[in-house]
Formats: sequence, structure tokens, C-alpha cells
Amino acid sequence: MNKIIITGSTHSLSKEMNIFELIDQEPSLLSVFSRLNIRLPFGDMSIADMCQRDGYSADLFLILCSMHINPSYRPATSDLRAEMLPEVIGYLRASHHYYASHMLPHASAHLEEILEHADNRSRNVLRRFYDDYTHYIVDHFQEEEEHIFAVVDSAANRHDANFSIIDAPHTDIDDRTNDIASLVIKSLPEAVPTALRCAMLRHVYALRDDLRRHSNIETYLLRPLVELYLKSREI
Amino acid sequence: MRRYKVAIVEPATLVAEGIATIVGGSHEGEIVGLVRNTTELEQLLRNTEVDVIIAAAALHRDLKACAAIEEIPVVGVLSSLIDDEATRKFASTASIYTSAEELLRIVRRAVDAPTEHNYAESHELSERERDVLILVAKGYTNKEIASELNISPHTVISHRKNIVHKTGIRSVAGLTVYAVLNNLIDSEQL
Repeated sequence: MNKIIITGSTHSLSKEMNIFELIDQEPSLLSVFSRLNIRLPFGDMSIADMCQRDGYSADLFLILCSMHINPSYRPATSDLRAEMLPEVIGYLRASHHYYASHMLPHASAHLEEILEHADNRSRNVLRRFYDDYTHYIVDHFQEEEEHIFAVVDSAANRHDANFSIIDAPHTDIDDRTNDIASLVIKSLPEAVPTALRCAMLRHVYALRDDLRRHSNIETYLLRPLVELYLKSREI
Repeated sequence: MRRYKVAIVEPATLVAEGIATIVGGSHEGEIVGLVRNTTELEQLLRNTEVDVIIAAAALHRDLKACAAIEEIPVVGVLSSLIDDEATRKFASTASIYTSAEELLRIVRRAVDAPTEHNYAESHELSERERDVLILVAKGYTNKEIASELNISPHTVISHRKNIVHKTGIRSVAGLTVYAVLNNLIDSEQL
């Protein structure tokens, strides 16, 4: 796979593309670099050069960038190889860590600022709602790591992966993330300053969009790769 | 989140199996019946709770005459041209060329759309919707709410769709917060 054209987007990604050009066109891709633990600087490197330097599959890098830029992009089965699985799991683990240690606490800090302007009753119920929401997400991450990511852990010696734990929680998480935004927009007491509401909303919507991309990667990239990987071990 | 219950009414086996595979294979829908005509559909609806019907659009006349459908939204699947008037009878339509993802979106929208008889421009909850919301916040199931308010489970589902549409909130936990923030329920009651 040398080139990916992303439908509905002006971007056309190829291994020959200069890294600077790529980031300049789509700065949000920096999160892909950091989750793959790819180090800067790049000088005038191409995607292929950078992947070779850091020991990553350039094909996989292009797939991850494409899924990041275009939420409806789906990798073709013929482009997937079982060897990509450990890198994808590394990427997803890094994303879990980023949500748990950065995005969720950051949203919590915004919420606490808001709650300073709310009465006791609203404060308690909102704080409980947000705490349940974060626990639900973190527990879900842990479950995925134990029941799906562990297939590549030779010590675990797993021969199957339970994907039923993915689908319903992803819809629930998306619903609850949207609910936070709806409550902030519609139902918080009037005393809460607009600037604080907007700061919280910007963060919640960024979190929602990132979680949706994450969910797409798990459904349309992780799942077929795990199936390929388990099949390759049967032979 | 609860999976919506789907009945498929489609005489063409391959089309019916294709829809069942797409919708039933997703995490959103559960196929509770796969029938070939509206006579079989009526039998199914007697003992089975259904949230949405996916039916061959060519059956539009039979569907119109099928009283058992009541307020259940029907998504019409077009396999040949039928007149515009007939397609307007459906909550929404798809075609046999629609992609799997688009079909799921269409069905989900039909399930979530507010029911016509309760639809109002106002986003204020009606008194009945407030009653339902309070019981949802207290953790009652649809059956328990129906029994408490002496209404059918279908009507409870219709009220819940309207509540989601008007509040923009889908999860039970979120609706509970909404009920407390809007003074419909005291947090002590939870």
C-alpha cells in the first residue's frame, strides 16, 4: 500500500510525503505521533524514513493517520497484517493512558470550577455523575486490556478475544459524554459564568471526538487484526 | 444501552437475511422477528415487543392496513421504484443499495425520532413526560413505569423518545441529573 486517498477530504497521504507537510496540513495528527512514541525532530524526513528510523510499519502509520483525519475511513482487509497488532495495541494503550491521566482529569478540573458557582444539591449530583462516568470509562479500558489486548501477551496464552465487551460500552460512553454537554448547555444553574461553560464544552467535545476515533480504531482495525493474529497462531 | 428490537417484513429471502445480518450483527439492534408478510407480522406483534419495523417498501398498502403496527416506526426498504406518496408513509426509507452503516443510521434515527402524536415544537416536557422521567430517574423499568402510570409499555417508550428528543440526554444517569437540576426530583429520593 503506497498511497491512501481519503474520501471526502482534501488530504492524500503517501509514504513519500514529508513529515513537516503532513503535520502542517493536519496539526491534530501530533496526537498520533505522541501515542506511537515517535520522537521529534524530523528534519526533512519522509513518512517512510521516519517509520524506518523508529521501527514502525509505514503502512500502519498511514492507516492510523487516515482514520484520525477521516472518521468514515475504513482500512481494507487486504492492507492488514497480523504483525501490525502489537503496534496497534501499543497505540491504544497509550490512548487509554492519555484519556485516564490527561483528558478526564482535565475535564474534572473544568467541572470543579463550574461547581464553585452551583448550589450544594447540583454540586453533589453532578460530581457523582462525572465520577461514575470516569469510573465507567477507566473500568472499560481495563476490561479491554485484560480481555482483548492480552491476546499478544504470550504469558496469558489466550486463544480468543471477547469483543462483546466493546460495542455496548462504546455507545454508552458516547451517550454519557454527549449528556455532559447537554447538561452544561441546558441545565446548569444560571449563576455559572458562560466562559467556564464554554471552556468545559470545548474540552468535552474534544474528548468525545477523540473517543469516537478511538472506538473506530478498536472496531475497524483492532478487531480484524486480532482475528488475523489468532488465525496465524492456529497454523 | 438497551438494544432496540427489530421486526423485518420482507418476502425476498436474500434481502431479509442481509438486513438481519447487518442490523442483528451490530451492537444496536436485536432481531425479534423475520416474517414474509403483514399477516405474519400481526401474529408476531401480538406477543412480541418491537421498537422498529424494517419492511419491503413494496408492501406499503398492506402495511397501511395493518392496525397492529400502531405507533411503531416503519423503515421502508426500496428495491424498485414506487411513487413518492407511498414512500412518505414510512418513518424513513433505505434502498437495497444503502451501505450497512447508513442503514444502521437510518434505523437508529427512526427509533429515536419523537412519535408524531406527541411531537411538539416546544421542548418543554409535558406533564406525562415529567411523570415518566421521574420514574426513570428512580430506576423503574419500562414495564414498571407502564404499570405505575397505567399505560402501555409502547406508550412509555414513546414518552421516553420524546424526553430524549427534548432534553438531548440519553443515559439514565444523565436523565437523573436532569431531573434533579430541574427540581423534578429530590436527590434524597435516589
